[in-house]
Amino acid sequence: MQDQSKTKLPLTQSQLSIWASQKLQPDIPTHNIVYTFEIIGSLNTTVFKRAFAKLVSETDVFNITFGEDQGEPYQKKSSFKNFELPIFNVTGVSEKAVEKQINEKTLEPINIEHRVFDALLLQKQNSSIWLLKFHHLVTDAISYQVLYQRLNVLYTNLMVEEEDDQNVLGNYLDYVSFENEAVLREDFDEQATYWKEKSAQIVDEAKFYGEKKKPNTTAAERILVNLGPERLEKLKKLSQLPQVRGWTQSLTLYNIFMTVYASFINRVTGSDKIVIGSPSHNRNEPKFSKMPGLFVEVLPSYFNIAEQESFQSLFQKVKIESNNFLRNVSPGMVGNVKDHQITAVLNFINAEFPDFNGMPTKVKWIHNGHIDASHDIRCHIFDFEGDGDYNIAFDLNNSVFNEEKRKEVPQHFLLLLDAFLENLQSEIDSIPLVKPTFSDESNFSQEESSKTRTVYEEFKLQAEKNPNSIALQSRAETLTYGNLYQKVDVLASHLLSKGIREGDNVGLNLQRSTDYVISVLSILKIGAVFVPIATDQPLERVKYIVHKANCSYILSQKELPLEIAFTNLNLFHWSKPQQEDFKFKIPSDNQLSYILFTSGSTGNPKGVAISNGALNNYLNWAKKTYEIDDKSIFPLFTSIGFDLTITSLFLPLISGGKMIIYPEKESGPDTSLLDVVTDNLVNTIKLTPSHLALISDRDMSNSKIDIMILGGEDLKTVLAKKVKKQFHPQLRIFNEYGPTEATVGCIYSEFDETRHHQTSVPIGKPIDNTQVYILDRHMNLVPNGVQGELYLSGKGLAEGYMGEHELTAEKFLENPYRPQTKIYKTGDLARRNADKELEFLGRIDDQIKLRGHRIELSEIEAQLLNIEGIESCSVVVVSGNKPPNQAETTNCVKCGLPSNYPNTDFDELGVCHLCRAFESYEEKAHRYFKNDDALVQLLTSKREENPNYDCISLLSGGKDSTYVLARLVNMGLKVLAFTMDNGYISEQAKANIDKIVQNLGVDHVYGETPHMNEIFVDSLHRHQNVCNGCFKTIYTLSTSIALEKKIPFIVTGLSRGQFFETRLTEELFWDDHLNTEKIDQTILDARKLYHQENDAVKKLLDTSMFDDESVFEKVQYVDFYRYSDVSLDEMLQYLKDEVGWVRPTDTGRSTNCLINQVGIYVHKKELGYSNYSFPYSWDVRLGHKTREETLDEINEVIDETEVKRIMSEIGYSKDNEAVANSDRLVAYFTGNTGVSVKQIQTVLRERLPSYMVPSQFKQLNELPLTKNGKVDKKTLQQLTSVQIELDTPYEAPRNEIEELLEGIWKEVLKLDKVGIHDDFIALGGHSLAAIRVTARLNEEIESNFPLNKVFEYPNIEAYAQYVEKTLTELLEN
Amino acid sequence: MKDKISNYIIHHIAKQKIDTIHADDDLLADGLIDSLGMMKLVAFVEKEAQIKIPPEDLTLENFMTIDHILEYLANQSTT
Repeated sequence: MQDQSKTKLPLTQSQLSIWASQKLQPDIPTHNIVYTFEIIGSLNTTVFKRAFAKLVSETDVFNITFGEDQGEPYQKKSSFKNFELPIFNVTGVSEKAVEKQINEKTLEPINIEHRVFDALLLQKQNSSIWLLKFHHLVTDAISYQVLYQRLNVLYTNLMVEEEDDQNVLGNYLDYVSFENEAVLREDFDEQATYWKEKSAQIVDEAKFYGEKKKPNTTAAERILVNLGPERLEKLKKLSQLPQVRGWTQSLTLYNIFMTVYASFINRVTGSDKIVIGSPSHNRNEPKFSKMPGLFVEVLPSYFNIAEQESFQSLFQKVKIESNNFLRNVSPGMVGNVKDHQITAVLNFINAEFPDFNGMPTKVKWIHNGHIDASHDIRCHIFDFEGDGDYNIAFDLNNSVFNEEKRKEVPQHFLLLLDAFLENLQSEIDSIPLVKPTFSDESNFSQEESSKTRTVYEEFKLQAEKNPNSIALQSRAETLTYGNLYQKVDVLASHLLSKGIREGDNVGLNLQRSTDYVISVLSILKIGAVFVPIATDQPLERVKYIVHKANCSYILSQKELPLEIAFTNLNLFHWSKPQQEDFKFKIPSDNQLSYILFTSGSTGNPKGVAISNGALNNYLNWAKKTYEIDDKSIFPLFTSIGFDLTITSLFLPLISGGKMIIYPEKESGPDTSLLDVVTDNLVNTIKLTPSHLALISDRDMSNSKIDIMILGGEDLKTVLAKKVKKQFHPQLRIFNEYGPTEATVGCIYSEFDETRHHQTSVPIGKPIDNTQVYILDRHMNLVPNGVQGELYLSGKGLAEGYMGEHELTAEKFLENPYRPQTKIYKTGDLARRNADKELEFLGRIDDQIKLRGHRIELSEIEAQLLNIEGIESCSVVVVSGNKPPNQAETTNCVKCGLPSNYPNTDFDELGVCHLCRAFESYEEKAHRYFKNDDALVQLLTSKREENPNYDCISLLSGGKDSTYVLARLVNMGLKVLAFTMDNGYISEQAKANIDKIVQNLGVDHVYGETPHMNEIFVDSLHRHQNVCNGCFKTIYTLSTSIALEKKIPFIVTGLSRGQFFETRLTEELFWDDHLNTEKIDQTILDARKLYHQENDAVKKLLDTSMFDDESVFEKVQYVDFYRYSDVSLDEMLQYLKDEVGWVRPTDTGRSTNCLINQVGIYVHKKELGYSNYSFPYSWDVRLGHKTREETLDEINEVIDETEVKRIMSEIGYSKDNEAVANSDRLVAYFTGNTGVSVKQIQTVLRERLPSYMVPSQFKQLNELPLTKNGKVDKKTLQQLTSVQIELDTPYEAPRNEIEELLEGIWKEVLKLDKVGIHDDFIALGGHSLAAIRVTARLNEEIESNFPLNKVFEYPNIEAYAQYVEKTLTELLEN
Repeated sequence: MKDKISNYIIHHIAKQKIDTIHADDDLLADGLIDSLGMMKLVAFVEKEAQIKIPPEDLTLENFMTIDHILEYLANQSTT
């Protein structure tokens, strides 16, 4: 061993983290480790003192000090100091005072530059307490054991005056050097890799009882638990089971406690992916096994708790994990793990302290009142006496565990331990942690004893009291309570005369109006049930609701095409008919009052049936709580089909207050709220948080509103604060929670700025006669703070869903906690916070897991709202384009089109929709085609203009183009052959070409461009193939030659199938009187647009000739196969006989172009099918290929290695592939931020873990809302990545024409949504798509809009304006 | 193999200073080796015998003494 007396040594990995932690919080005694040893009996203090002095002088850990060189910590052995052990006589001093002294000593700071230990001896009557304190930098539990034993030996020997070996313990600094060098050891790599990989695992952020640790808090309490003899006995028995037993008894116990601990963490945090740190003792080398010092390193174990995990199955996981743990620990390994991941520690202490020179010793580890800043909880298990009496100590961070929780932790832990000891097979989440004692009154609100009046009675009372007060006010009319009462009376009598009776269901298909209010009250008056059906719904939905609700009658304001009796109130005469003899009877509590339809997950709305009792319960509570009286003025401005509106509909009328009615707008989104705030007539308002965004830029400081009730959505604290500032200090904001199934609102809180700091304002406490339960999967009550599903019971529950018995039974369950009552399963997540207020945590269905991380979207939204200028926002998860499924495709039995071709529909015979549709226009399509004579006639028609050449023939060297050339020559035409050398023509193909032109005796030119690779890359990005780019290059270069040489025609070798890929669409043949000239004109128009598309060709090549449209007169493009009809066999025969063409074999495919396969590969990979699938299917349909030939070609195997080589050669890489193909977070926001997306991202990165930072951001003018005023997340999820990246904000269509255009664009461009500002070309629109959208529009509104307008007005808004203008002009003329 | 194992135990994982170890000595008795040492031994044996020992074979029955280990290894090579 080298002499380290003067050497400065670096710190070990373990020391480093302790040193850094101490440095961060220098005054906190987190790392003061203190043990006391109470030696019972008479201790010779003089000898003890000498023995201790010897121990200090011979053992280096006492003499190590620490320092810092330019920020780098070091340790060194200092000169030995004489330490005189202070002895205090505490005989007669109270236990408490002794404890206090010990405590003070414990907390006293340790100056590590001076001395790392301290000690004293307290002499009592019959015992002595030896206190030994070390800085954690040089000690651990085993170190204490070693020192204790050594002191014992020293003391014993001194007592008998025996000489002793010097320094038997060894030097800790030797270990330090060993550890420093360990990094270089051979097997270090393998183990280091293990830990690196381990700590790269994803773990859930463990929130104990739903609480998050406040940063840099260390104050902690230690809770001691004695397991007791009964448990110890069971533990012993369990640990002997063969399936439980490990290498040693200690390991077995460690595994058992680890299993219980992991279960505990799972149950009180809700996390499935758990990490637990535990110290490895690290004294594996014999030379270190009895050495004092800091050896332990805290390393992680990972557990993934499965659903229905039993103790036994988890134990097996633990066993494997701990074996791997042991196998891979070695000094220094801790440097490879992310220790901040570890918030929970299990410390199984293997240190025993036998008698001291025959005297029994009581050992205590004194708690210093602190815990590592990174730890929430530590669980120590120890048996210092070594008699098998294990104790547990929990160190609990006070900022995570409040006093109540600190008591609950051991209880919950022991419940799980007991369940484990009882039955290994138990599922860990089946164990109830909370006994349903219900001492906690917050579950219940006061039962109301007195019988309440019904809504109608309350209204009647007000009408009698103040007949002249104004009840309703709308633009059209004002009604006093007296007027209203009379009208209600008239309509009620009318309904009676129509045979409507108590319990009948009456549909109200009405606008918000006085009529609506009168109707509701009339129906309630006769004890019938009202069914609100908003007028903005499609007829189909109205029909569905009427049917499902079993309506016997309808009140409307227009004629309804329904097979059910109705009264059109617009034509109603408000005079009282002959009074029928009818006794009004007050409906009982359990009779229905209304049925409200809410959207259901199946796509069909479900009718929630609400009783009079439930309605009255809510209204009476609300009236009292919101202090509604005759001075209250409410607006009626939200949809009648939304249960939030019930509040505004009834509260003023049962209180003598006033209602101002704002009808729906004729079209477009309902912006009545703007009128409400402009008029400034109301003082009480009920609305959704999203509604507030509509008025966020308004000055509301003079608003009369002083009561604001928010419901229907999660209320963010930032928003509540903002609103409070925007309005005035008197404004009271109430947050009301309640599913329709529990009648409008059943949990509420009043926003309190001084208390509410969470992301969202708590939903609070239950209203009268309502019970709230937060339950786990097994319907156990969860411990306070823990998240669970919210269940409701009480007076407010609905009777169920109309005509949906199964669904009703599924959601309204027997209440396990209150027999004979129902409990409603909300599907919402909630927890009860430390203030005993309920917090809403989102829908269970919305629980987001992204790449293994559990994500709370509302947390991201709250952070966004914190950014200056962002007014509202919504974060959604957009699912990525799943890799296309190629395995399960079938092919059309006629044409071979694969079933994964977009929007394909196969009929029962396996025939695709294209083949089926083609049957209807096949005959017409054939009229497009002509014959050889017509071709010759055309190509010779301009002979006088160019005596040298009739045409250019595009020659790729493939069979089709070779055939074209040969035939043209054969027809006696003067031809210039043009070949595009794109750099990837095979050698054999080139040889073929040269031979052919020679054989045929034609002039031949090659075209080329240095930009070809860029064009390929662009084409792959735009079209997922290389051909599009190549074709366009050919057209561009050949046109330029044609112009230069004054050649009037360019002849292509496109196959007929390719016509349908590039020129023809079904829409062109819709016209009954097919006019091929018109089609030609359309195709020419499309070609003009085609050459204006802003792609790589336009950017890189000289395309200026296309700017002048006369070029399309000077040079015409002729498709040879439009005139010539030849089968493949015929063609090949001709080529063989007449030309000597041979199929190239060096491309690996039936093509002559080497890069072609790159296009096919990319196309298949991204879209799932070959780019040839579509044109070939047309070749088959038109009889130019057989289905088998097609299938052979499109299923050809691609040489992936070669493809990848070419890709890298041309510089193609798909940067966005990972983004587009995986689920991702997208943030939408509104407001005037003045900050860039990059800056927003930077801000979020500082505040959120990286996996929670959205990958895309989009600013909108307004967030789209549903009809009920909630953010329309579905729409936001449907925008594609490209649409999100457009510079323009998304806005939904606002009128019929825009909707019509959106419908057409969506279909043609294959999108789910198109915003009215979205650019046609940016959305992937090209000339063929332009043909299709124009043709469809023309068909739809029987017009004749030209093709190029799509490019002139490239978005829906502009195009719609153009359409409207044109139509108006047409009408005017 | 036997010598390699006993050497490894004596020089690397024994908790006490020992000079020799018998093939039938109980490795885990009297804390000669603790569980950490056992897993180091398992790793050593795997490396020397060029095998991968599955988790379910990590039992006392297979690893209690050097003899047991040798027997286990012998079984592995025959099966």
